[in-house]
Amino acid sequence: MARRPLQPLDITLRYGRGYQLTRRLFLAFSVALTFGLPLIHLRAVSAEGAGLADDSPWARLIGWLPVVDVPFVGAPTSIVLFGIELVDPLEWLGVTLHRGLSWGMVWTLLPGLLLVVLLGRFFCGWACPYLPILAASNASRWFLSRLGVPIKDVKVPRLTARVAMVGVLLGSALLGTQLLPLVYPPAIIGREVFRALFFGSLGAGAFVVLGAFLFDTFVSRAGFCRSLCPGGAMFSTLGALSPVRIHRDIPKCTDCTICDVVCNLGQLPMTDKLDGGCERCGRCIASCPTKALTWKLGTPSVLRMPHEKPGT
Amino acid sequence: MNRRGLIGALAAAVSLAVVPRRARANTKKIRPPGALAPGPFEQACIGCFRCAEVCPTACIRFPSTFSLEQATPHLELGDRACVLCMKCTQVCPTDALLPIAADAQVIAKEVRMGVPVLTRSKCLPWNGTGVCRLCYQVCPYPDKAVELVGPQKAPLFVVEACVGCGLCEEACPDGAQAIIIEPLGTELPKPEPMRRGPA
Repeated sequence: MARRPLQPLDITLRYGRGYQLTRRLFLAFSVALTFGLPLIHLRAVSAEGAGLADDSPWARLIGWLPVVDVPFVGAPTSIVLFGIELVDPLEWLGVTLHRGLSWGMVWTLLPGLLLVVLLGRFFCGWACPYLPILAASNASRWFLSRLGVPIKDVKVPRLTARVAMVGVLLGSALLGTQLLPLVYPPAIIGREVFRALFFGSLGAGAFVVLGAFLFDTFVSRAGFCRSLCPGGAMFSTLGALSPVRIHRDIPKCTDCTICDVVCNLGQLPMTDKLDGGCERCGRCIASCPTKALTWKLGTPSVLRMPHEKPGT
Repeated sequence: MNRRGLIGALAAAVSLAVVPRRARANTKKIRPPGALAPGPFEQACIGCFRCAEVCPTACIRFPSTFSLEQATPHLELGDRACVLCMKCTQVCPTDALLPIAADAQVIAKEVRMGVPVLTRSKCLPWNGTGVCRLCYQVCPYPDKAVELVGPQKAPLFVVEACVGCGLCEEACPDGAQAIIIEPLGTELPKPEPMRRGPA
């Protein structure tokens, strides 16, 4: 039997434990909001006596929850936290292309845009509620390969995501309706979780998420995030402005390829080939056996010349 | 940034600038209060479901089937009516729902969700099979949006004054279901001639 190719689950995240713990807690918070906000609002609604008037088991279960007035409302892609609007830049752009720019919309965009310009594509590695599903997909790939089932990893060009991003915007303009919420996993997951908790059913969006999971598992590792997700493409584009970078200490590097393998998004830290697509998950740093990789502030990748060595 | 990326970005920007913006004006749906007109509404809504989350009667729904409407909210007034709390209009991030003050006068002026269509042959006072004024009793604008006329005290709906909240539709007895709020833009049927009740 041929040697099994190295998989991300074979790699131990040794270092940067604090960073990984913070990231996981943040992700847990984001997922908790995705499920918790509809629950809290459902409780408030049923407390007013109109929402869940029936005496279903679900209504009784909800009745155990305390009624709290939270300063949060919204979905993973558009949320208000303590009065601050955080709206997905691509959803914002889709609306602005149709409705034109207004001061209100500028203020809505600003906090989210600022975060993305500072931290790059961090949403994909820190907050996206699709991440647990991606982890399940990677685990399935690992399990299947352990069983000796050959798994495919088709390398779809990352340009595809940019094409999908522009295509979604063009399609929205031509059809007169926003297409992004129909194809963007975090938006779909938020909506379907809300539907499941409020009405006990799932809609067609669940099939899109299932399709993404099957694609990631059987066709291309993290392929949806890498090369199909329009929102991810937008974060990559804006993320090129971020000054936060992975720095490789060349004398320490042993060219072991572990960092390249552990990256979900096809970044290549071992050869310093990193761009706006880095989701700041820090797993390459955590897995490097010789601690050759570190965080560093530097020139944003968009300003770097092609001949310039990224490590400098 | 390299030359290819720059050319690609420019091409994308130009195509986005020149692409014609179409509007879906034919969507016959009852939208939440404060909604922009059909067409602009679908262009502005990002399907974030904040409006549905804060709705105290959970009457704001999203279609569950594959369709372009999947991520835009509509009201199922036959199931639950809108209580005109205007919370949904306050939370919309893209102003697809314009904020409206929770004030009866303001609501009467600003909100038009649908048009009331009464089938007189089904309505108890109109067809003479009973006494009923439930629609009048639940209406937030009695004597304005619905008047009681004639000896039977039969309801007469005033389209111009009705906000389309659906409280009457919800209250109308199950066997009758004479009053339905139809989406804006629905052709109003000619009212049937009033039948005489049993002597």
